[in-house]
Amino acid sequence: MNLPHYNYLISYDFTDYKFFSEGPKGKITKVVRYTKIHENPDTYNLAFGDEQQDTWEINDSIITNNNDRDLVLSTVANTVIDFTNYYGECNIVAKGSTASRTRLYQIGISGLLEEISIFFYVYGLKDDIWYDFQKDVNYEAFLIKRK
Amino acid sequence: MPEVEKIVKHKELIGKGIVSSEVRSYANDPFFVKKAEEARKTLLRVGLPGDKRKQA
Repeated sequence: MNLPHYNYLISYDFTDYKFFSEGPKGKITKVVRYTKIHENPDTYNLAFGDEQQDTWEINDSIITNNNDRDLVLSTVANTVIDFTNYYGECNIVAKGSTASRTRLYQIGISGLLEEISIFFYVYGLKDDIWYDFQKDVNYEAFLIKRK
Repeated sequence: MPEVEKIVKHKELIGKGIVSSEVRSYANDPFFVKKAEEARKTLLRVGLPGDKRKQA
């Protein structure tokens, strides 16, 4: 993907990613982690949040308001490429901690859908059923799989 | 898949990140542990796309 994004660092096992959001609220550390939650087929949960500088705690309940939403989402999308380059054809699921956060994920996927769909199958969860992802449908969670 | 498309696909999917020792493991971070557990429960309930038990 060639959209603007932040530079980011990757842990040696390609499960943890770190980058810095920069904007009116200052420099905020963002962490993305992929956690294996299912085998055969391998399925990982994608979660990301802000790392508090004083406590090192992670959370995604804070609305950062750093005016860089698209940059952040594009960066997270790029980590999916690095992750799947390393781990291959696995499933990745994502769900926000709140409805508005899940909606944010949805906006990000919708905005990148044409590009994402070249390389990934994209599904949305609605009423406990997975559907092919469509814009303008509100989902409860998302799953992508490398083609 | 045509060869040209394969080449383009490969070229476009080059990762952009840098592997670094500055990134610690968050495997035991309570936030990520909780998120993974929630996702695990959801998958147990709904399955994966294409599962015979639940499919659109």
